[in-house]
Parts: sequence; structure tokens; C-alpha cells
Amino acid sequence: MKEILVLCPFGADPGLLSKAAALSGGEVRALVPQGETALAAACGAARIVELQAAPIGDEARFAAFLAERIRGWSCPLVLAPATVQMRNIMPMIAWHLKAGLTADCTQLRMEGELLIQTRPAFGNSLMADIRALSPIQMATVRPGTFPPQRGEHPQPGVERLVYCEEERVTLLSYRAFAGGTPLSQAQIVVAGGMGVGSREGFQKLERLADKLGAGLGASRTAVDAGFAPYRCQVGMTGITVCPRLYLAFGISGAVQHLAGMSGSGKIVAVNSDPKAPIFDYADYGIVGDWEALADKLLQEEIL
Amino acid sequence: MKRILVCVKAVPVSAFVEVDSQHRLKRDGINLQWNAADASALEAALRLAGEDGSVTVLTMGTSKLESPLRELLARGASRAVLITDRRMAGADTQATARVLAAAVKKLGDFDLILCGCKAIDGETGQVPGQLAAALGLPCVSNGETLEADPDGLTITRRLETGTQELRGRTPTVISLCAYSYPLRLPGILGMRRARNIPVEVLNADDLGLLPEQCGLKGSATKVLAMESRFPGMRRGPKETDLTLGAKALGQILREVRP
Repeated sequence: MKEILVLCPFGADPGLLSKAAALSGGEVRALVPQGETALAAACGAARIVELQAAPIGDEARFAAFLAERIRGWSCPLVLAPATVQMRNIMPMIAWHLKAGLTADCTQLRMEGELLIQTRPAFGNSLMADIRALSPIQMATVRPGTFPPQRGEHPQPGVERLVYCEEERVTLLSYRAFAGGTPLSQAQIVVAGGMGVGSREGFQKLERLADKLGAGLGASRTAVDAGFAPYRCQVGMTGITVCPRLYLAFGISGAVQHLAGMSGSGKIVAVNSDPKAPIFDYADYGIVGDWEALADKLLQEEIL
Repeated sequence: MKRILVCVKAVPVSAFVEVDSQHRLKRDGINLQWNAADASALEAALRLAGEDGSVTVLTMGTSKLESPLRELLARGASRAVLITDRRMAGADTQATARVLAAAVKKLGDFDLILCGCKAIDGETGQVPGQLAAALGLPCVSNGETLEADPDGLTITRRLETGTQELRGRTPTVISLCAYSYPLRLPGILGMRRARNIPVEVLNADDLGLLPEQCGLKGSATKVLAMESRFPGMRRGPKETDLTLGAKALGQILREVRP
């Protein structure tokens, strides 16, 4: 079996490491930040590269640095979580290595030495199977796609890698969003549409999201109306999500919105209009006032 | 900021599309629009360029894009370039970046290259980084705001869990989020001005590229299979009693939570 290199310089992705271990029969080399070697080993990494670096601003320089290391390790398969940062860095690595790269995969399988990558495109309305034509095959993988599996490697080798190149772009500061679960990684999404009607309405949904440990989503019309920030927008021009549960409050169900959430495990729609298209795409519908239901859920203690 | 280049892509208007036997999006006969994030990049460029700077819009696509490009001239771009060549059809992100990089080199020196962070059709977001790598420039992705001063650029960038503030210098490649800068409407003066600016058209030969460097042949990935998948109708039961609805929802929540 061929070795798979998993690049997680900003934080180990246990699900992806576990999947790589399964695909390669335990031949995983993992690049993780300092302090995460134990986590990488627990997910089955056989060789662990512990990265020592100051906060990275010039991702192009970092990509060139990694491409050089990958040549040295002669890894034929390179994976990374499809986070904002890695989706910037992996294309640049791929360019330097002349490697085929597939973005945001949701399924991976080996056919002999070939990595067959499946990814959704155009919302969720197309599914494509893609392979690389180059000696090195690369893919970014949507975070949360694969469940983490414990599979401790008995004796992982650990080496240290120091990155201290001169940077042309510097990171001045980082400000975390206030509270809540990041939308793209949330297992439950509580989303609102025009029916929620106001910024105050979304504040109520946010309280519910916090209570459920959910991410807060919004339709484009609600974002355009200023009820919720753009970073909450789910759909074609926003974020594509695939949580275990998508809870849609006052969302009518425009195709552009459906494209961003139709891959969800379960969809529950709450809308006062029994004819709203969203009900056709929901596993369970509640016809009624979204706010009355939200109040009920906020009062429930057992949730 | 003197010279800014903006890469734009025409994408289908409809949310659901079909593919041909070669696994390429069927682009004939469908309505196209400029990708929303690319429109934001153009607006950011127009603001940075001000009165004395120039903004060039560059696209790769069918020959039908000449008149949509003219609309971008009417909105304030000073120069429009269309790369069109049948041999470029089916390009993956690497073949696309190679063509764009060749065009950037041919068109002259730019202080700044702006792109949208991803197109709503392919959704890869890989072209800005690969273009930067081909040109040996830094690349900042997912920008939300972009400001220039005599010493450099300040960029805020949205990640999953928060916002970074970055400081860069020219020349550089930056990709912007959709709706970060709503694109201005064309004015009468702009429309009049656009009529007198020819859209420059380039093909592979003009860019000194061989057929094997372009399109399907120049790609490092291959689509093996593609299927259209309209979001499945689920049509689950509907409840009109809120108390019962809340109870059922509580049950679903217990099922999905570990």
C-alpha cells in the first residue's frame, strides 16, 4: 500500500486521519501542529511530523516550503482538510508539484494505486468522480465527512519540522467569532429565513442554536435584509452544509438555498405556509408560527 | 493603487445544470451571469483604483462573453480582455491558471490581481492560488475587506471560526468573498465610454501556449463520471399541532445527538 500524507498544519483532523489510515492500511504520515502528536497517533498515523512555526501569514511561501518537503518524502498521495486555509495552500502545493488536485471531496476510495475522489459541485446538484493524471494525487476533504476512529499506531515515528521563512504577508491579528459552533462544522444547524422577520428574531434563533450546540444559518433573503451576517448564509452564494440535522425556520425553500443544505442528514422545516416548497424537501414538517415553536424549544429543559 | 487586474468568470444563472457526455457543464443555451464573488472583486478594484488607476477585467470562456464584458466596462472597468479558444474547453483549475498566468504576463505589470474566492458552478476556489503560484506571488484567500495605503495593503479574511487581519504588499493575488463589495450599477457616462473601448480577444497562440497545455489535455485531473442530482424530495409528514411538533422534534434531536 502507498503512503498517504495528511497535511493538518493548523490542527489535526481526526476523521480525515482515520480515513487515510483505512485507505492506506496504516501507512499514514501526518503533519500536525506542535502538541498534537498524541492525537495524530491515536488516529493511526505511523509517521508524525510536528510543525514548529510562528503564526503563518504568507501561505504561498508556506506552500512552497511544504512542496519541497513533500518532494523529499516522495509521498504519492496528499490529503488535507478543506478548511479556508488549506483550500488556499493545497492549490499552490499542487502547482509546484504539478499534481492534480480535487477540491472539497466527500468520498474517497482506492482503485489499485488510484485515488478516486467524489465531490459535489454546483450546490449539491452534481456529483463527480475525479482522478488525478499526475504521479502525485492530491485532494482536500470536507471536514466532518468521515467519523474519527480510534486506531492507535503502536510505535509512531516523530520528527520535527521548523518553518521560519521570511514572509511577504504578515498576520497582524486574529479575532474569533463570538461564541457558537462554526457553521461549516456544525452537526446541527438552526437556520432562519425571511419568515423570521427581524434581527431580534435571529437573536432568538441564536439562543436556540447555543442551547442545542448548533450553528446558526440563514437564507440569502434574510442576510440581504440585514437580519443575519453574511457568514451565516447557506446556499449557492454562501456556505454548503451537511449537518446531521438541519432545522429550517421560516425558510420558503428557494432552489439556491436547497443547493446548500439538501445533503443534510435530516431536514425539519417550520413554516406557517403549508404550501412552502421547503416541506417537499423535509423529512418532517411543522406548519405553524416559528417563534411559538422556538419559544417552546427554549423552555424545554430536556433538550 | 495604479494597475489592477480582476479575473471574472461567467457562471450559469440556474441553480441546477446538466452535463454532457464529456462530463462538462452544458453551457450552451443557458443564461450566464458574472459570478457574485468576482463582482465583489471588481468593485473592490474600482474603489482602490480611484480616478488615476486602471482596472482590467480578464475572463476565459466562450466568444459570446464579449457583450457581458462590455457591461463591466460600463460599470467602470477601463480595459476588458477575453481569452477564448475551443482548445481550452474542459480545463481543470491548473490548466485555467496556466492560461490566466500567461495572459497576465502578456498584458503587463499589475500591482494587484483580484479574484472571487470561488465560482458557484465548480466551487473549487483553486484558481486564485494556482495563478499566484504560477506568477510567484503571495495569495490571500477569502478576503472580506481590502484597504491600500502608500506602504501596503490591509486585508481582513474570514476563516471558519474567526477573522484574520493581514498586512501585505504589492504585487499580490487576493480573492474576495461574495457580497463583500456590492458591484456598482452602470451609469450613462460609463455606458457611453464602454461603446468606444474594444474588448481585446486572445487565443492560445496569442499567449504562446501549446494545445497540450490547454483544456482537457493540459489538465492534471480527469472527471471519470458525473451525475446530475436534483435534491431529493423527501416529503415527510407535516404536523400542525405545535406541541406535538415540538415533541417529535425533541425525539429527532435525541436521535442525531450522540
